[in-house]
Amino acid sequence: MTEIIDVTNLNFSWGNNHVLKDLNLNLKENELVSIIGINGAGKSTLLKCLNRILKPDSGEISIFGKELSDVDLIELSKHISYVPQSIRSNFSMDVFDVVLLGRRPHIQWMIAGEDREKVSKTLRYLNLEEFAFRRFDQLSGGERQRVIIAKAVAQDPAVYLFDEPTSDLDLKNQIEIMKRIKELISAPESSKSALIAIHDINIAARFSDRILLLHEGRIIADGTPQEVLTTKNIAEVFNVTSEIVNMHPNYIRIIIKDEINEKKTNRTVIL
Amino acid sequence: MDSISEKHIENGKTQFLMVLILGIITVFLSLFAMGQGSSSNLDMMSTINIILGLEAATELQSDIIWKLRFPRILMAIIGGAALAVAGSLMQGCLGNPLVSPLTLGVASGAALGAAFAIVLGVSVLPYSNLAIVANAFFFSLIVVAIIIQLGSLRSISAESYILVGIAITFISGAVVSTMQYFATDAQLSQLAHWSFGSLSRPDLIQVLAISIAVLGLMPTAMKWSWDLNALSIGGDEFAISTGVNPAETRRNMLILSAFMTSVVIAFTGLIGFVGLAAPHMSRLIIGNDYRKLIPCSAIFGAFLMVFADTLGRTLFAPIVIPVGIMLSIIGGPFFMYLLLANRGGKK
Repeated sequence: MTEIIDVTNLNFSWGNNHVLKDLNLNLKENELVSIIGINGAGKSTLLKCLNRILKPDSGEISIFGKELSDVDLIELSKHISYVPQSIRSNFSMDVFDVVLLGRRPHIQWMIAGEDREKVSKTLRYLNLEEFAFRRFDQLSGGERQRVIIAKAVAQDPAVYLFDEPTSDLDLKNQIEIMKRIKELISAPESSKSALIAIHDINIAARFSDRILLLHEGRIIADGTPQEVLTTKNIAEVFNVTSEIVNMHPNYIRIIIKDEINEKKTNRTVIL
Repeated sequence: MDSISEKHIENGKTQFLMVLILGIITVFLSLFAMGQGSSSNLDMMSTINIILGLEAATELQSDIIWKLRFPRILMAIIGGAALAVAGSLMQGCLGNPLVSPLTLGVASGAALGAAFAIVLGVSVLPYSNLAIVANAFFFSLIVVAIIIQLGSLRSISAESYILVGIAITFISGAVVSTMQYFATDAQLSQLAHWSFGSLSRPDLIQVLAISIAVLGLMPTAMKWSWDLNALSIGGDEFAISTGVNPAETRRNMLILSAFMTSVVIAFTGLIGFVGLAAPHMSRLIIGNDYRKLIPCSAIFGAFLMVFADTLGRTLFAPIVIPVGIMLSIIGGPFFMYLLLANRGGKK
C-alpha cells in the first residue's frame, strides 16, 4: 500500500504544555485509522498539525513524499480535508452551498456542472437530500455534523481528518456515517484514507483497520483493534477496568466496567 | 442533471432576477432624482435628454446638470455602493455582523484629518480648496497603514482588528474633541457640517476619479468571494481545510474595504449607516454567498444613498438635509422592520 502521510518526531506545545512528544506515525492508502486517548491527549492537536491549522514546534510531516509546509494551501486542500466537530458562525447558507464549499479547491470562480453533480451525489450518499435547501443554522447539531462531513466528502481528498465525527450523532446515524466513511476508504478504486480522532472505542474497534493509542503525547500502541484494545492498555490510558468480548471474527466489543481508583478518597455527594 | 442541481440553478436564477429588479429600480430612482431640484424647467425627461445629447441645453441648464445634479447622483451611487461593499467585506472577513466601514477607525482618522485642516489650518495640501479632503484622505490612509501593519503580525485575530479599530476611534475622538474645545464658533460649525456627510462637495472630475477607484477595486473584491464564503460560514479552521488562508484573506479584505471607505468619506464626510444596513438588507434577499452578496450590496447601497439623498433634497425643499442624517432617519426604522419581519417569519 502506498504511504500517504508520514510523520517523524513531531513536537507541539501549548505554552509550557508539551502536548505531542517526538510523535511518529504513517497513513497508507485504503486505511481507516483511529486515534484514541483521554481528553487533552493531543488527538485534535495532531489532526490540526496535519492540516497546517497548527504549526508544530519541530518534526517532519510529509504528504505523498512532499514536505507539508512546501505544499500550496489550495493543493493541500485537494489532498487533505479536516472535519472539525462543529462550526459556529454568525452567518449561514443553504446546506447545498455549505457542501459546495468543499469544491472550492477544485474551482476557479464559476461553478461547473460537475461540481453541482458532485454535491448532489454526496448529499444523496449521506442521506441529506431533504436538507439540501434548508439553512445550515436551522439544523440540529447532528444534522450539521453530517453536513460538514458531506462538505469533506464533496472535497474529494486523499485523506480525511475527522475530529470526533460521531459526537453529535444518534446511534443509527453513528453507524450509518461510519459505514459510509468505511465504504469510501475501503473501495479499491478510491485510494483514500482517514485518520479519525474518536472517544467511542467500540466505534473505533468496529470500523478501524488500525488504532493508535495516544498517551502523554506519545503513541504507546499502534496496531489492529485486537492488538491495541487490550484490558491492560485500556486500564493504563483510561484508568478503567474493562472486558473484551469477541462479537464477530472481525471485531471486538469493549465493556467498560468501573474506574480504577488509585487513591480511595472520601468524597461528599453534592445534591 | 438531477433534481437537486436543477433546484440550485433555479434558486440562483431567482436571486439574480431579484438583484436585477433592484438594479433597475435604482436606475429609475437615479433618473427620477436627476429631475428633482429647484429649477422648474429641468424635469426628469429634459435632464435625461440633455445628458443623452438629444436636447440642446442653455448654459444654466448645462451647469445645473453637469456641475450639480450629475456629480451628486453619481456620488450617491458610487459612494453607496463602495460603503456597502466595504461593510459586507468587513462583516464577512471578521465574521461579525455588527461591523461597518466605520468600525476599523478609518472614518475617525478622516475626521481627525478634517479637524486638523479646519481648526489648526494644517494640511498635506495647504492653501488649496482640497485641504480638508486631502487631510481626511491622508489620515484615513494612516489608519489603513496601521491595518496593514496589524495584518503582518503573526496570529492576529478578527477580534484584535475590531478592538484596535475601537481604540483608534477613541484616540481620534479625543484629539478631535480637544481641538473642538479650543476652536472658534466658525470652525466648530464647519467641522460639524463636515461630519454630517454630504454628497454636494465633490465636483464632476473628483466624482469620476472616485468612481474609477471604486469600480476598479470591485472585481478584486469579487475575486475573493469563495474565500469570504468559507471564512464567514465556518471560521478559520474550516477555511484552512478548504484551501483558504484566513489571515491573508482578512488582511487583504480589510485593506481593500478601508481604502474604499477612505476614498469616499474623504470627499463626503461621515456616512456610516449604509455600510452596516445595505449588506444586511442584501443578506435577507440573497443570502450570504459573497459571489452574489457583493453585487447585491453594491446595488442596495446605491439605492439607499440615492433614495435618502433625494428625500433629503425634496422633503423640506429648498432646505437640504445632509444624506448622512437622512440615511439614519429613514434607513434605521426600515432596517429594524426588515430584521424583525425576517425573525418573525422564521418562527
